[in-house]
Amino acid sequence: MSSNIGIIISREVRERVVKKSFIITTLLTPLIMVLLWAAPVLIMEFSTPSDKNMAVIDESGIIFPELVKNADDMSYLTLSHTDMPLDSALHDDRYDAVLFINSDVVTNPQNVMLYTHESGSMEVEGLLNRVISKTVEDKRLEKYNIENISEILDEISVNTSIRTLRITDDGSEKDVSSMTSFMLGLGMTFILYMFLLIYGQMVMTSIIEEKNNRVLELVVSSVKPLQLMLGKIIGVGLVAVIQIVLWCALMCLVSAFLMPIIMPAGMTEEIALMNSGSLDAATSAFDPDLLKAVALFSSVGYLLKLFMYLTLFLIGGFLFYAAIFAAIGSSVDNVQDASQLQTFAIMPILVALVFGLSVGNDPNTTLALWLSMIPFTSPMVMLSRIPFDIPSWQIWVSLIILYASFVGMTWIAAKIYRVGIFMYGKKPNIKDLIRWARYK
Amino acid sequence: MPLGYVYVYPTHSRDAMSRIFYIFIRHGVDSTIARFTMSGCGRPLRAERARCGSPFFVLFPSLSCTEKYEFNQICMDIIKAENITKRFTNHVALDNVSVNIPEGSIYGLLGPNGAGKTTLIRIINHITAPDQGQVLFDRHPLTAEDVVNIGYLPEERGLYKKMKVGEQALFFAKLKGLKTREATEQLRMWFERFGILDWWNRKVEELSKGMAQKVQFIVTVLHRPKLLIFDEPFSGFDPINAELLKNEILRLRDEGATVIFSTHNMESVEALCDNFTLINRSHNILSGNVAEIRREMGRNHYRLAFQGVPATLLERLGDRVVNHTMGKPELTHNGPIFKAEFTLKEDVAMHDFISLANDTVDIVTFDRALPSMNEIFIRTVEQSNATPPAQQ
Repeated sequence: MSSNIGIIISREVRERVVKKSFIITTLLTPLIMVLLWAAPVLIMEFSTPSDKNMAVIDESGIIFPELVKNADDMSYLTLSHTDMPLDSALHDDRYDAVLFINSDVVTNPQNVMLYTHESGSMEVEGLLNRVISKTVEDKRLEKYNIENISEILDEISVNTSIRTLRITDDGSEKDVSSMTSFMLGLGMTFILYMFLLIYGQMVMTSIIEEKNNRVLELVVSSVKPLQLMLGKIIGVGLVAVIQIVLWCALMCLVSAFLMPIIMPAGMTEEIALMNSGSLDAATSAFDPDLLKAVALFSSVGYLLKLFMYLTLFLIGGFLFYAAIFAAIGSSVDNVQDASQLQTFAIMPILVALVFGLSVGNDPNTTLALWLSMIPFTSPMVMLSRIPFDIPSWQIWVSLIILYASFVGMTWIAAKIYRVGIFMYGKKPNIKDLIRWARYK
Repeated sequence: MPLGYVYVYPTHSRDAMSRIFYIFIRHGVDSTIARFTMSGCGRPLRAERARCGSPFFVLFPSLSCTEKYEFNQICMDIIKAENITKRFTNHVALDNVSVNIPEGSIYGLLGPNGAGKTTLIRIINHITAPDQGQVLFDRHPLTAEDVVNIGYLPEERGLYKKMKVGEQALFFAKLKGLKTREATEQLRMWFERFGILDWWNRKVEELSKGMAQKVQFIVTVLHRPKLLIFDEPFSGFDPINAELLKNEILRLRDEGATVIFSTHNMESVEALCDNFTLINRSHNILSGNVAEIRREMGRNHYRLAFQGVPATLLERLGDRVVNHTMGKPELTHNGPIFKAEFTLKEDVAMHDFISLANDTVDIVTFDRALPSMNEIFIRTVEQSNATPPAQQ
């Protein structure tokens, strides 16, 4: 008889995994995630805006030389000085845009106009703003006649990046960036949330479907209801795990092979420098936080550890919530009737998500600790805390509580399920479910 | 009360006798006693319905009329449900119901909708447990392991729509403990027999209702269970396939399976069932052998076709007739033929009735009017409904 659970599980898994849609989503989702993440980099690298010819009418005579100097690296932008009146420049087909700088720009910097046929490019506008402000600033400073003004300015300019070093129990220091941990935690919490909801509801709808097309009656004549319910939960759970593992493998592959290729030149060297602790943030060409995040994703070992916790909490959380979803699914005739009862499963997940997203701001409060122990909220809250290197006993205690509650919840759910699958025609409420759970 | 009878008639077939011996021996009856009983009556020849629970018709040429032997040890009940009570929140589904189902017979489980039949079937199937009472399966208390010896075709049945037919049938076969290879062989044989082998790799949702029903039937019987439970097996079948199914059920019975058959179609009960139980409002209101109960309930109930004056006949019979119906006359060139049914008083013998009728009119045909199962069903249920539940 116990082999029956195995038969049920294998049917559940095969029905879902050997399916085009599963294979496609499994392969495409990480690709889309990587693409989304890499898109800005790629766009920066490869996009070359169309050539622009800009006429500059510089009545002050001080801005144009500075502009030309600064626009060197924008190959697509051709600046041509002209003395034409504004009206005729605007109607001249040679120019895509006309910049008009009034002679009193130093005293009245608002008196600069950019006329363009298309909407202005951010980069060009940024350049103009920067150059004009800088030039005007310089001109104004000059009036004060301060000696060595440029040296003084160089000396006081700063570029800050805080390196957060966490003192661990064994006295060593670890480089952690709160920002990166926060983002990681958010990511994992969200993944978990999606999985609990998607796969939890999959258990529910699949039970409703069995009940609805009456195949259930045929199945329970060979299998105990508890075996059927457990088989379904474990089967769907295995599908979730297969998906996660495939993703993990894909991510590892991507980070090991693809990352060096798609990363902008110079980033790899700087990550190496940063890992050895000798990177000078001030001279770095990249945002240090971005560097740290990229470095984190390039480290396969760290990723594996995170995936282990993610998988453990995912399984525990899934089993716990799937039992609730199964009880609900067994008690109703169709998906519409389930909506009301479903609140009892979805609300805690949503609450957990909200807390999971917010504890990242301060992962070590008492509230955060408690929420990461209560099984309803623990998977998500704990996952969002894990990247902050919380003590590992907390993680394990939380896991033990979670798995113990899964057993308890399954026991209750099985009692409801046993009665519910034979109840047709009546839309039960939570009171009915509690009464069924109390039946001998 | 005996568990069965051997009726002995004169007749002419030989094979069946060896089968009777086989059944006697299989049930542990001393074969010499059996042989003695048989041979003592001369040359035994033919047995009809050589099964437990229903009479054996053993026909001996040396006897001029029927003799009836009772036997107690031969027959085994595959199911003995004793004093089953099952309560739900708002009502009692079964109240102290006992049912004995003899091995190798077809047993009708009858009753109006909501009487408690499905609950009883589920209890026998070990899907739900009774609140009181116990079920013996094959002489031991029913356990979860016995389920592999039961095949159940529920009234409300379906299949996984997205699964392929063959794959699905294999899934159910494996749940009943068959190995993949064995199950595949068996399934191919059955699929061929039912003419659906081409559908092996099609999805269930492409199947017509009748075809899905065939798959479900195959799944139910594939593991050769000792006990088969069919709940409305013929619904959704066209007459040709219903006949096919009926013959398969009879064949399974002949191969030794016991069949519990729940239906509202009383004609099929008459055609198939040996014994039955009628459940109404959670109580067992009538059980027994189909033929015997029909005979019993048809006592003093006769059909008469005659030529003559109906009024004269009725006058002559007087108060011996409790109830009668007179049909429209059938016109022939010899004059009209009337067809009437009479229910007579308990103490009126058939002989008296015939002689009285013979004196008054010309009898064309005369026979006992056996009530149909349909009539028995309606009469018994209405009677039971007329009595307040407390007195039952």
